[in-house]
Amino acid sequence: MTATAPLSLANLTAHYGATKVLDDLSLEVGAGELVSLLGASGCGKTTTLRLIAGFLAPTRGSIRLGDTDLTALPAHKRNIGLVFQNYALFPHLSVLDNVAFGLKQRGIATSEREARARRMLDRVGLSALADRLPGALSGGQRQRVALARALVIEPPLLMFDEPLSNLDAKLRIDMRVEIRQLQRANGTTSVFVTHDQEEAFSISDRVAIMDAGRIRQLDTPEVLYQRPANAFVARFVGFENLIDLRVTARDGARVTAEGAGGATVTLDQDQLGAIPDRFVLATRPDGLRVATGETGLPCTLGLRTYLGRAYHYQAETPVGPVTASGPLSQPLEPGGTAWLAPDPEQCCILPPEPA
Amino acid sequence: MIRRLSPPLIVFAILVYLFLLGPLVIVIGAALSDTTYLTFPPQGLSLRWFEKIFEMSAFRRTIVTSLQIAFASTTLALLIGIPAAYALNRYRIVLPSWLSTLFVLPVLVPEIVLGFSLLRSVQVGAGVPVLIALLLGHTLIVLPYCVRVISASLASFDFSIEEAAISLGSPPAKTFFTIVLPNVRSGVIAAFILAFITSINDVSVSLFLTGPGISTLPIQILAHVEQFFDPVVASVSVLLMLLTVAVMVVVERTLGLTFLAK
Amino acid sequence: MLKRFAGWTLSGPATFLVVLCLVLPVTATIAATFGSAKGPWALYQAFFESGFRQRVLWRTLEIALITTVVSVVIGFFTAYVVSRAPPRWRSVLIILAVFPLLTGVVVRSFAWLIVLGRNGIANNFFVWLGLEGAPYPMLYTQGSVIIAMIYLFVPLMVLTLVGVLENIPDDVIEAAASLGATQSAIFRQIIFPLAVPGLIVGAVLVFTGSFTSYATPQLLGGDRQMTMGTLLHQRAMVAFDWDGAATVAAIMVVVTLAIVLAMTRIARRLNPMAT
Ligand SMILES: Nc1ncnc2c1ncn2[C@@H]1O[C@H](COP(=O)(O)OP(=O)(O)O)[C@@H](O)[C@H]1O
Ligand SMILES: [Mg+2]
Repeated sequence: MTATAPLSLANLTAHYGATKVLDDLSLEVGAGELVSLLGASGCGKTTTLRLIAGFLAPTRGSIRLGDTDLTALPAHKRNIGLVFQNYALFPHLSVLDNVAFGLKQRGIATSEREARARRMLDRVGLSALADRLPGALSGGQRQRVALARALVIEPPLLMFDEPLSNLDAKLRIDMRVEIRQLQRANGTTSVFVTHDQEEAFSISDRVAIMDAGRIRQLDTPEVLYQRPANAFVARFVGFENLIDLRVTARDGARVTAEGAGGATVTLDQDQLGAIPDRFVLATRPDGLRVATGETGLPCTLGLRTYLGRAYHYQAETPVGPVTASGPLSQPLEPGGTAWLAPDPEQCCILPPEPA
Repeated sequence: MIRRLSPPLIVFAILVYLFLLGPLVIVIGAALSDTTYLTFPPQGLSLRWFEKIFEMSAFRRTIVTSLQIAFASTTLALLIGIPAAYALNRYRIVLPSWLSTLFVLPVLVPEIVLGFSLLRSVQVGAGVPVLIALLLGHTLIVLPYCVRVISASLASFDFSIEEAAISLGSPPAKTFFTIVLPNVRSGVIAAFILAFITSINDVSVSLFLTGPGISTLPIQILAHVEQFFDPVVASVSVLLMLLTVAVMVVVERTLGLTFLAK
Repeated sequence: MLKRFAGWTLSGPATFLVVLCLVLPVTATIAATFGSAKGPWALYQAFFESGFRQRVLWRTLEIALITTVVSVVIGFFTAYVVSRAPPRWRSVLIILAVFPLLTGVVVRSFAWLIVLGRNGIANNFFVWLGLEGAPYPMLYTQGSVIIAMIYLFVPLMVLTLVGVLENIPDDVIEAAASLGATQSAIFRQIIFPLAVPGLIVGAVLVFTGSFTSYATPQLLGGDRQMTMGTLLHQRAMVAFDWDGAATVAAIMVVVTLAIVLAMTRIARRLNPMAT
């Protein structure tokens, strides 16, 4: 029903004054796809949206939507649906007039735009509130109005800037399902900004993990979660233990590697994929098992925390401090010595971090 | 609830308020007096001194001039002050920080110095006609109120609302009038009123800029008092107080009395 | 960049007006004081060698100082009462303070002419009391100028301080009370220190306002109690001594700026919440 188009950002660089906030960022979003920008506060997510929306001019690079080059087009001609974190409803206009605003700019006759706005309000379940002012709505209702206002113009591209972060936890989950359903139904290409990993992974086709004005990895949630491509992304998705290792011996698929302090581990290339001579072994706490069997990485156990499904231990090893896990059936005492074995199912091999 | 106030403090405040309002009541009484000299309490009530105002062409003329100058200077100050306030808020990062200081200079520089300097450089130096010089001077002294009050309104305006409108297809200039301005309406009204009252009451700048045949009401009052001690000035004062009351009523109607309390 | 262009274009007309009609003329006035044929400081020498003009300067400073101190004290206690009054009274009291503030300087000074005049209400009262020597000559004394100035500035002080006092959150005061502070301890240890920055802002407004005023000293002090404001006018418009007037203007600007700068420094130092 809605015109939809792929979005293409090529080599975008942006500055605020002398500060570089986006650094050669490129991104392709397929037609009808929902891509999230995920990253800590200040990494440049909003800036990226503002560039696409046309509120900020890039110092370098180009923005294309379908066949149109947006780079030099004024913001009001870009035809992009925007949903803001703080809703940005027009305080002096009724809910209906808020939703009809974009249609009015497009010169659509009063009767038709009211009908379309009402239909849109119906879809977000707010028809009863059409005549209220935004000030008289709850947070969730306001965000629905903002959503309706962005959708009603049937834009080829929708952009959301942390649209759920002002809502309480329960509503946040309901709304994100609702947003995803509307987006799917319309097939609108979408860019969704959030700093909440769970939110990004649950709603997106693909997620771009951002850091300091760059995209560090762009992939499906599954790949990001299981096969991060670099140390930054690995840490971001919960691989807390990053151990620098060097291969000392290869025996078929079996590889022996040594880390700081002479500690050695044995890994299986059949399970982990090809292992280069220098690499970083990344594990989540659950992927580093505590045992007393005297094989693997020796460690001294520290603080034990109870997590319901397992215990976590802070442990000192020759390669540095790590967080490991152990079964509930065998609580170990802090101060004791134990051995750590990586679980190949929950490990991944990363290229060495540049010094 | 810690609202208990000690009785001496309450008595003190009552006395202060009597001090604040008493003299104004006395002016009203003197204006109603039937005598040819200023006195209070009034001896014999009459409105003859109010009629007298309009019989005296000097007062008639200066009242008109004052109103004209106040309207024109306030309008002009708003016309240049609103865009300036908008720029100061919207483009703060690209504008130098001294710019906002520049717009409060007219309150920082003593008005009487400004008046004298305008006389020297603008009226005499550049040969600008009296009425124009007067208008420029008044625009200058009311500009800070316009910029400051509207800036305060804009500071609490969420500019993403403006961006939302633009993203929905509304051109920037149109967006300013349909989205931004309606949301700072109370600031504009407040600025207008403050500026208008300031202009009407101004002495120190007008003092130097009035010329032969062109004067403002406060200057005319000063001139009259120097020569006569009759109740006509009291009745003019009452008119000015009525204007103040009218302004406060307008504020109450449009912005609510809580606005005055701010 | 586009934004810089938009920013300057929008603020341009106002900037242009202030620079052209304020910065340049005032600078020219001050520059003129150094342009005397007898050397750059000759006009200032003349000013400070004249006993009369020196007296005017000291008198103006004295009037401004007394006015400031009295207005601050009266304003603070009144504002305290207003800010703690029941809500309905509070708004009435605020409106009653706004009214004189919006009523012009000339009207408010003129009111004291009626009160303090030879046949004024004060003297009528003294005569009625049968006081010795009544009626007294009260107009054209320093006291009458000071009273009218205090009258002028108390509403401003009250309104400034009500705003400051209301910004002190109730729970801070309740916390102090819960810790055993008495009413007067709360007043002295919580409310007053938090109001200090506001007191200083108000004091600066009153001092500079009274130091540079014209209408009040003109009406109530006349030629006998000449102040910097009336002296400036007299030099410029009666004596046509523009150099002399410019010198008075320059001294006014210097004193005003010095007070504003010094007080903002002090305010920053005394602000209990400064980091
Ligand atoms: N208006 C601005 N002026 C100057 N710097 C800004 C401005 N807006 C954002 N920045 C800076 O740009 C960087 C990226 O900001 P932003 O894109 O808002 O981050 P995010 O949305 O990911 O939290 C931050 O370091 C921020 O401090
Ligand atoms: Mg952001």
